[in-house]
Amino acid sequence: MRAAAYSLQNRLAWLVLGLLTAVWIGTAAITWFDARHEVEEILDSHLAQAAALVMAHHGEPGGEHPIDLPALHRYAYKTAIQVFRDGQLVLRSASAPTTPLAGAGAGGVSGFATVRIDEQAWRVFATHDAQGQVQVFVGEEEKSRNAILLAVLRSTLWPLVAALPLLVLAVWWAVRRGLRPMRQLGRSLVERRPEALDRVRIDDAPAEMAPMIDALNALFGRIEALLDTERRFTADAAHELRTPIAAIRAHAQVALHEADGAARRHALQSTLDGCDRATRLVEQLLTLSRLEVDAMPKEERVDLGAVTRRVLADLAPRPLARRQTLALVEAGPCMVRGDETLLAVLVRNLVDNAIRYSPPSARIEVRVDGDPSGVRWCVEDSGPGLSQADLQRLGERFFRALGTVESGSGLGLSIVRRIAKVHRMTLTIERSASLGGLAVHVHAPPPAGDGSPRMPSG
Amino acid sequence: MRILLAEDDPLLGDGLRAGLRQLAFQVDWVRNGEAAEHELRMHPYAAAVLDLSLPGKDGLAVLAALRKARVTLPVLVLTARDAVHDRVRGLDAGADDYVVKPVDLLELAARLRALVRRAHGQPLECLAVQDVVLDPAARSVRKNGKAVTLSVREFDLLHTLMLHAGRVLSREQLEQHLYGWGQEVESNAVEVHVHRLRRKLGNALIDTVRGVGYVLMRAPASP
Repeated sequence: MRAAAYSLQNRLAWLVLGLLTAVWIGTAAITWFDARHEVEEILDSHLAQAAALVMAHHGEPGGEHPIDLPALHRYAYKTAIQVFRDGQLVLRSASAPTTPLAGAGAGGVSGFATVRIDEQAWRVFATHDAQGQVQVFVGEEEKSRNAILLAVLRSTLWPLVAALPLLVLAVWWAVRRGLRPMRQLGRSLVERRPEALDRVRIDDAPAEMAPMIDALNALFGRIEALLDTERRFTADAAHELRTPIAAIRAHAQVALHEADGAARRHALQSTLDGCDRATRLVEQLLTLSRLEVDAMPKEERVDLGAVTRRVLADLAPRPLARRQTLALVEAGPCMVRGDETLLAVLVRNLVDNAIRYSPPSARIEVRVDGDPSGVRWCVEDSGPGLSQADLQRLGERFFRALGTVESGSGLGLSIVRRIAKVHRMTLTIERSASLGGLAVHVHAPPPAGDGSPRMPSG
Repeated sequence: MRILLAEDDPLLGDGLRAGLRQLAFQVDWVRNGEAAEHELRMHPYAAAVLDLSLPGKDGLAVLAALRKARVTLPVLVLTARDAVHDRVRGLDAGADDYVVKPVDLLELAARLRALVRRAHGQPLECLAVQDVVLDPAARSVRKNGKAVTLSVREFDLLHTLMLHAGRVLSREQLEQHLYGWGQEVESNAVEVHVHRLRRKLGNALIDTVRGVGYVLMRAPASP
């Protein structure tokens, strides 16, 4: 993954430079063609003009021998003039050959042509009089024409060529400067301590980077919150385990030094109770931590009524032994979507709490009821209930109400809340109107698309 | 030695009470903060074992309230909170010792004895008054180097008088030092124990201040 990484700065610089060069070459090419066309037009018109002049002078018959024009300028050799009369050469410049510059013969030729003479390319304009007696050729070496063109272009293109390296440097600098906030961000991330979760701050960060930085900071925030929960949870768990372990230790030591049989048995029994409690606590902690990791372990159709019946059958011996009345009021199947195991844990915790914290002979009622607005589950007891202050603190991890003789971990309700949350169920705890003790209501909203035939039956 | 144990966990409280009783402490056990504060204000405990996460009133709040009310008895904080800042807060709130659960009962007892000893300005592990030496850890008493056998109550009475040497303690005060809750105290129990101590250790050791109480003088009264 890292090997394939490319430098944004390089890519940007190359892209800008490439495009710039392409545009530059295009501009230069257009200039070139345009200038060449113009120069050729002018030079061609000069050729034609010269031919017309020569023609005007040699309209009448001349002598027997051709006249050789003197070369008056060093460039004269780059131009050539020939005049033929009735096929006979009557006038030529110093550089001109004796044979016609262009065309098959020495008469009746007109117009422009590019010809090769002595390995040199020449631009030739030919013209003749109306009778076809006088034929005039005016030629010019292509090389010299190109030299003019180049001279013209040089002055136009030279500054552009000179500017190119400067442009490269300028682009490079601009790209580097533009990307500075990104490098800054990278550096600040690299230089952070790995456990640091404070927010990233980049001075003069551009608007384009704001979403990135915001997202990063939001992520840091979430991780911080998560770690916080995790740390608090671990610390709480460790603390909470210390108490049963301390109790086990104390009772074991007492048993070790106790001579009296009954006291010794009591101490040993208490040691076992402590072990059971520690075990239950560990199980609850594991359940809770699994719940914190998985958002929604399973989604299947569960009959909450059937789950409740099973759990109640399981729990029934204890209230029976304490002469408590445990009753279930169930109105037909109540289907909810969720994880059956977790829902059983929820039901067990709530009913177990009601049994545990209600005195002997108390009444505990569980009701399950479903209609299109969802499934309502409720457990009520005739126990002492809770004060308003305790009701508010309920569900804080490890909170146990004052005067509680039962040795609970205070984790049960945390687990219940968590399970309710992943199932999108609402939990309400209040004073029971009918029995006077505590009432815990769980409301499961109707599952989206419930009752449609495509839903698999669980 | 009479100790108040403030611990809300039934199983642990029961274990600590049984263990400390085995080690010859008189233990009264309360399960919430208000009760702990009330008991410690009302009765002369030798020391207190205080859990911090008490229902009702937090252990630290109890401690702070006690110190504010000038209750100076040694307090050993026994808690599951082990972070350094918790320890610092506990000690700064007025705890004399800070022990993290779980704790060995023998260590807990030794720490309590040390706290009580120091609270009475006794840096040495044995108390010595006149020619009597008392070793709280071994629960042994020697007079002129010779071991003397005492009953539990006699030992506790002598221990209390030696800790408060030079101060007159009333019969009620002595009873409160000696007996935990629910222990039947006969009206003349203290007199009986003083009488027995005098028989075993000599008449000159304990003085009676008529109508007030008893005192153990650091130096023998001049004839």
